[in-house]
Amino acid sequence: MIIAFEAGTLRYAEESAMTTQKTILIVEDEKILRAAIADILTLKNFLSIRTRNGKEGVEVALSKHPDLILLDLIMPTMDGMTAFKKIREDAWGKSVPIIILTNLSATKEQPTGDMATNASTYYLIKSDWKLHAIVKKIEEILGSQDKS
Amino acid sequence: MNREPTISASNDIILSLKILAREKEVVRRKLAVTAAKLAATAEKLAVTAREKEIVRRKLAATAKEKESVRRKLVVVAEKLKKSYETLEQKVLERTKDLETSCAKEAAILLSIGDELLVTDEKGNIIIINKRAEKLLGVQNKDVVGKLFSDAMLLVDEKGNPIPAERHPARMALMGSATTAAGPIYYDMRKDKTRFPMAIMATPVILDGKVIGTIKIFRDITDEREIDKAKTEFVSLASHQLRTPLSAVNWYSEMLLAGDAGELNEKQRKYLDEVYRSNQRMVELVNALLDVSSLELGTFAIEPKSTDICKLAQDVIKEQRPQITAKKLSFSFLCKKRAVHIHVDPKHLRMVVQNILSNAVKYTPEGGKIVLSVALADKKSILLKISDTGYGIPKYQQGKIFTKLFRADNVRDKDTDGTGLGLYIVKSVVENSGGKVWFRSPVEGGTKGTVFYVKLPLDGVKKSSNK
Repeated sequence: MIIAFEAGTLRYAEESAMTTQKTILIVEDEKILRAAIADILTLKNFLSIRTRNGKEGVEVALSKHPDLILLDLIMPTMDGMTAFKKIREDAWGKSVPIIILTNLSATKEQPTGDMATNASTYYLIKSDWKLHAIVKKIEEILGSQDKS
Repeated sequence: MNREPTISASNDIILSLKILAREKEVVRRKLAVTAAKLAATAEKLAVTAREKEIVRRKLAATAKEKESVRRKLVVVAEKLKKSYETLEQKVLERTKDLETSCAKEAAILLSIGDELLVTDEKGNIIIINKRAEKLLGVQNKDVVGKLFSDAMLLVDEKGNPIPAERHPARMALMGSATTAAGPIYYDMRKDKTRFPMAIMATPVILDGKVIGTIKIFRDITDEREIDKAKTEFVSLASHQLRTPLSAVNWYSEMLLAGDAGELNEKQRKYLDEVYRSNQRMVELVNALLDVSSLELGTFAIEPKSTDICKLAQDVIKEQRPQITAKKLSFSFLCKKRAVHIHVDPKHLRMVVQNILSNAVKYTPEGGKIVLSVALADKKSILLKISDTGYGIPKYQQGKIFTKLFRADNVRDKDTDGTGLGLYIVKSVVENSGGKVWFRSPVEGGTKGTVFYVKLPLDGVKKSSNK
């Protein structure tokens, strides 16, 4: 299976796999936003894998088992909701923390039901959240996971 | 000698003559009596004749009168005949007129651009127009005379039949005024296709009695498509507008945080302007999206039991940095530990957030804000947010809930603000069956504003995202 990742990111993630650094999977079709998230994650000592749509996201998630997934909703090839469902169907994917990071206002089509039942799903609106706040949220989620 | 024999008549003869003479006298007397009687009779007859003459004369007079009456009658009869003929003519004309106007009315009724069905007081179909025949795929002759509920199978979105008592026609027959129902789905019996319908049933009332119903209905498949398109537009617009804003936000945020190296003072100042303007843009886009959702009716209302005090605390937490920065004294009073209200938390949050952020924004440094939540009565809750801020000028108080309106006094002091906040608050509160009002200046003072929001505890009904 060949996945077209952005140059260098996957290799970097694999090389650092031995460290205690947490790996965050970014599923985001907007290059400019994807780059900003990757930059801040690197700055805050996270490893990141960048993917450009739901299809790539699901493939990497299920093969690399990241510690947390940042998932956009509106994307080409496969949208975020479909990717979300596919990840949640997987035995590992059932409990991985997923932050739906989107600019789509929550409506009834969105996974409000899942959010209520699954504690590891979060819904953040990009334009309402500072990058540093998102990182803080990631640290908070991973921190509480380590404790439990 | 001739006389001798006479004289010499025997005594017998004399005697006989005497007897005869006497008998004659008797006869004469009798005759006299008879004559007198006859005279009397003649007189009576004369009287009778006179009377008869009188009667005859009278009769003659009567005959004359009769003749004149007869003549008069003939005249009247002629007149009657004439007027009868005219009347008949008139009746013919009027009948024709009536027929024309009836035909016109029937044509008007049957040509109504929507589907039309008329029933009698029992619910039997009496009129169905062409459009209705076409839409329902039925023939006039097949349904007229049948019960409405037998002729049309109404089902809900899931395909379950709608019980007769919930049929709009039945409700109209029960005397309830115009009943609008929709969307109701109709199952065409022939090809089993189902489509959404909007039905408007009205009782037909004559002399205070319901004599039937009129139902106007139409296929609203297109409207539903448009509704869906509107919803999609709003969510897509939100996505498209926010993406570049997010990029500006995040990159300027990283620059300001020194993530890409330290900035000099001027760089920081300029970038701060960029960041803040972008923030305003984000707020404006969010508010516009809320407004369009409210106006397009694309707001899904998902009410659930919500702890209003906790929700208020969350909103306060968000505002804390601004409250601290302006050195405002802030108190929060929640009478009961947990006051639960059946609302959509997203909406309630918008209400509290908008009013509280206004209070923070429009109260100068060192001012005081109090937010309190208490039961107004057994059925409703009262949210009160008071500040010691600039207040709302009397002459503009009537416009304060108008879309995009901002009062002069705050426009002078602070250019920030969308003019949409209170419009959203009013829309949401009224949609929830509540009420919002304010007092400014605060009683006994010259400044400040108090906003009141009263919401029913049992809250709002769930609505679909349409």
